[in-house]
Amino acid sequence: MSAFFIEGRDFELFVDAVIGARRVVGPVAKRTKFVYAELESAEELRLDFDVTILPPKKVFFPPSQDLVRFSDGVVGGCIDPVETVLLGVHFYDVKGIDMTDFLFRERNEDWNYLAQREATTIVASSIQSISPRAFWSSVGAEVEPQGHDAFLTKVNGGYLFETRTPKGEALLGYGSFREATDAEVGAAALANAAAMKQCPERLDYPSEAIAEKVRDSFGDVAMWDELAKDCFSCGSCNTVCPTCYCFDVRDAWNLDQASGTRTRYWDACLTREFATVTMAGGGTENFREHHSARFRHRFMRKAAYLNEKLGGPACTGCGRCSQACTADIADPVRVITHIMEVSS
Amino acid sequence: MAKPTLAFFDFASCEGCQIEFTNYGDAATLELLKHVDVVEFREAMTETTGGRIDIALVEGSFTREADRARLQDIRHRARVVIAYGACACTGGINALKNHQDDFAEYVYGEHATMPHLESGTARPISAAIKVDYEVPGCPISKDELLLVLSNLLHGTEHVTPPYPVCVECKRRETVCRYDEGDHCMGQVARAGCGAPCPADGIPCEACRGFVDDANLTALEKVLMERAGFSQKRAVGKSRMFTANLRS
Repeated sequence: MSAFFIEGRDFELFVDAVIGARRVVGPVAKRTKFVYAELESAEELRLDFDVTILPPKKVFFPPSQDLVRFSDGVVGGCIDPVETVLLGVHFYDVKGIDMTDFLFRERNEDWNYLAQREATTIVASSIQSISPRAFWSSVGAEVEPQGHDAFLTKVNGGYLFETRTPKGEALLGYGSFREATDAEVGAAALANAAAMKQCPERLDYPSEAIAEKVRDSFGDVAMWDELAKDCFSCGSCNTVCPTCYCFDVRDAWNLDQASGTRTRYWDACLTREFATVTMAGGGTENFREHHSARFRHRFMRKAAYLNEKLGGPACTGCGRCSQACTADIADPVRVITHIMEVSS
Repeated sequence: MAKPTLAFFDFASCEGCQIEFTNYGDAATLELLKHVDVVEFREAMTETTGGRIDIALVEGSFTREADRARLQDIRHRARVVIAYGACACTGGINALKNHQDDFAEYVYGEHATMPHLESGTARPISAAIKVDYEVPGCPISKDELLLVLSNLLHGTEHVTPPYPVCVECKRRETVCRYDEGDHCMGQVARAGCGAPCPADGIPCEACRGFVDDANLTALEKVLMERAGFSQKRAVGKSRMFTANLRS
């Protein structure tokens, strides 16, 4: 790993040069929020974003993704990766991508995800603005962000650019970088440490203790009913989550009635029909029929069930679910703190 | 093999869903006509039919007893009946009058007693006849209607998304109306439309009806706490398209 420095005035030139050579996706403003979008020019890039509506996993796992096209009995896959630079990913989303990388690779390798993932260079960036519901400084602190190719930190009127992989180093040729001084490296470390201290929400318990207590609360039906009372089963906490990876697959015919597409869509385990299955001999059963069972399931998945696989909770502390929930009942800090404090 | 016949019928409605169908444009319509024979379509052709029909598309709500005989005749002649549009599926906006008694004076003034204005309770057409498929919405999503027709042509099952509009809003990364100080009913409204209204900055009015188990208590709470509605307005808000789905 090496550290380089680029002056602020040269940074836009660097971004425009990369845009000239590759597809670049980064945070841009959308009304009052931010979203990841393909950049047409460096001017659109908003590295001062607090959090985006959807996490950057959408670059590899889009909300809807064609899997198969068929035409007159001929069937073909849709994997068509584009060399991409994902520029401006906060460390908590780097952790999220690392988790989906693992989940789409374990057992059946899912090349509908992995092909675009491998064609992408991830440039992480320092947190300049902080989302009001963030708790990334405390949740899963034992999980190191990894899988990114470089890390940008805004410091001293420019950016420190730390490369971590050859893919990250390959970007150096697009800009006027020089080797960073020890003082610049130190200043960047201070800036990143300072951001950690400003995180507005905290989950003040170790992940293992949380996992154990959350599992133990499974049978406390009255508590889960109360916590989920205002749940709409709208799935917003799922659809904005950086670690959710469930999808549904549907076919659609084209107008010619001879060709069509098989497409996967993000699914959400909070929605009512998610756990509805067809029974042998016909009929259906919903094995999480009540909304509180679905609400509880999400906390089991995020705080306990996946921990052994992922080395920590399936939660990055981005706070998107807390913000997206119109009833404001999804906040993991509030729910887990409640379980830690009152559940027996 | 002969192409299946398709006929459009309308009851109490604005016929906007027929118009929405014509919005496919020439290329798509001509392509579709390779697969179906349209034999009656008041907004687009003069011919009508009294014979058997493979697919009957019925628009509008059932508001008069005289409609019942006409609906039964359509049912008798049709292999498949599709209710399309909010009026046909739930009673739609017409059902607002079911909870009021002065609507005729309010709307028509001195002409309120003209005989052709007489009508009863606005109901979905399923209150009169068996309906095989529903394509909800005000107006319908023409792409969804096309999917339903495609599935019929291929003998495959059509599945209307059972989840709420929030799912589709998030998938297209629309800024939530509540985050802009507005209100919305996407949390309880049936999806399948692709959530075009919030994407244009307009709250969801639940024109496709409610999802199963819609949490209306929580909706009223959120409308009051986050959108600043009075209790009366919060309770009445969701009636516009769902008056028949409320007590």
